[in-house]
Amino acid sequence: MAKRILIVDDEPRYLRLLEANLRTEGYEVATAKDGLQALEVFSAQPIDLVLLDVMMPGLDGFETCQRLREFSNVPIVILTARGEAQDRVRGLDLGADDYLVKPFSATELLARVRAVLRRAQPPVETSQARFFTHDDLKIDFARAEVWRGGNAISLSATEYRLLLQFAHNIGKILTSEDLLTSVWGVEYKTDKEILWVSIARLRQKLEEDAHNPRHIVTRSGLGYLMTPNEV
Amino acid sequence: MMDIKTLSLLHNIFQEVQSKQDWKTALDTLFGSLRGSFVFDNVAIYLLDPQTKGLEVVYARAKGRGKKAEADAAWGSSTAMDVLASGETILHLPSQETKGKDRVAQAYLLGIPLNIGSKLSGALVFVRFGGPEFSDLQIQIGSLQAFWSAALIERRDLQEARTELDSVQRQMRFQDDVVSTISHELRTPLGFIKGYATSLLRQDTIWDETTQREFLNIIDEEADQLTRLIENMLESSRLQSKTLQFKFTQVRMDALVRDVATRVNSRYPELKITFDVQPLPPLHGDGFRLSQVFENLFSNAIKYAPDSEINISMRIGDGRIRITFADNGEGIPEDYLPFIFERFYRVPGERTVSGTGLGLYICRQIILAHHGNIWVESALNKGTTFYLELSIDPQL
Repeated sequence: MAKRILIVDDEPRYLRLLEANLRTEGYEVATAKDGLQALEVFSAQPIDLVLLDVMMPGLDGFETCQRLREFSNVPIVILTARGEAQDRVRGLDLGADDYLVKPFSATELLARVRAVLRRAQPPVETSQARFFTHDDLKIDFARAEVWRGGNAISLSATEYRLLLQFAHNIGKILTSEDLLTSVWGVEYKTDKEILWVSIARLRQKLEEDAHNPRHIVTRSGLGYLMTPNEV
Repeated sequence: MMDIKTLSLLHNIFQEVQSKQDWKTALDTLFGSLRGSFVFDNVAIYLLDPQTKGLEVVYARAKGRGKKAEADAAWGSSTAMDVLASGETILHLPSQETKGKDRVAQAYLLGIPLNIGSKLSGALVFVRFGGPEFSDLQIQIGSLQAFWSAALIERRDLQEARTELDSVQRQMRFQDDVVSTISHELRTPLGFIKGYATSLLRQDTIWDETTQREFLNIIDEEADQLTRLIENMLESSRLQSKTLQFKFTQVRMDALVRDVATRVNSRYPELKITFDVQPLPPLHGDGFRLSQVFENLFSNAIKYAPDSEINISMRIGDGRIRITFADNGEGIPEDYLPFIFERFYRVPGERTVSGTGLGLYICRQIILAHHGNIWVESALNKGTTFYLELSIDPQL
């Protein structure tokens, strides 16, 4: 079934540009010209990905992203006209999966959309066991669900994939490049910022104390790892 | 040994002096409060000017008998120079030939070095006309006052440096804002050109001819938009430096404004424009620049008062053409009105609407070059009206 993408931008020319290119790839497209309309359109139909402009009158892209994250884990790509790092980080902090800096080329846009949608697919499970436990943390691979101390935790597709990398490599140090390549794709190999923000978000959800993590530990200068269960 | 009474007196003086924000008031308090134990007629502070290397009187006060000599602080300058030359406290007594003359001619002077930031920077000079001589205790009180004065002057210097730094920082922030506004404005058309051009260049898809033409038209229009932005910036800097050339001819304002309106309507067919125009004589002006004024006014109205109609009126009286250009949009908050004609000014909170803050600046400069006038009135939720006044012959 064709994936449906919601484009949110107040500039009709950006809507047209994005829509024309996405349709050639067989995606279905829904559009909204501001944040409030985006929330309405999103609630009315199934959406697989949201392309969200930052600078919009009324509810801007950041606020819209935040609102969407209150009830949905849909992949979100932020379109920012400013290339400044603080804007990109802010988008990622609010739960966006990726960002695209204007001006961008049509092929770059399509590649990012493909990468984000690929990440959103539940990964094919190779391990034999259905469950994984680490201290108070429990993963149900079959249903792609995560629990902490009996409470279900809501993870975005990217965060879930990131967690799986650690679960499958218990006790092994994973470098930034390893993680970026296996979770985001080889084209993101050097994009450390995106990894830092995602690790921070994941810790906030998994750890009792995100500043003093027990599940995903930093090995300064080397990478990250999940230490083996203490038995 | 210091008794408790002296200590509490000093304590009170200290609090009183330090509480004064202005350095001169603080010095007044300092010298006034110790006058009980140290009587003098005049006091002056001389500072070395770092540029000219000369001595400058920065503070002078006259009490009692010294009021006659208040006007110039010349009485102390030679003492001050001696203090600076030697770096030490100096006492000058009146010369023999002044004996028996007017008291003001018999000056007893006490000069004390002022060290500001551990650097000898000036002198504090006291004078008593007609004596008596300064006692050792009084010289010590004078030294305390000199030390304190130096601290107060240093505080003044720091305050001044801080004010200057604040203003430089504000200037830098403003420049940052300008650069970020401009780069955002340039990036918008660039984004379209890049996006549509790379769409056409995609090798994995073939666009039909209508779409190709549509994309190429957008690229063309956005390139024009980019040119306009750059022209605007250049023009505003030429207007700023007064190097923009004007070509004055006979211009019919009613025809000119109608022409601009027609062009605007071809781009925005839904925009309703009404005219209320008296028959007008031609005016001596630069038609191209005056058209620009109205293009900017239309473009602002479309951006900031979307869905509003525009009402234009033109009247003639006293050799002047008066034009009003009114919309009934949201209006501009009163606090911002005084600034909207300033270069690069943008109403806060309008960041989501594109704009460089140059349009109205350019309008005003063009109207001023015609010896005319432009101003604005606005009411929230009622609308904004621009008023323009132009002489038919600007020479008159």
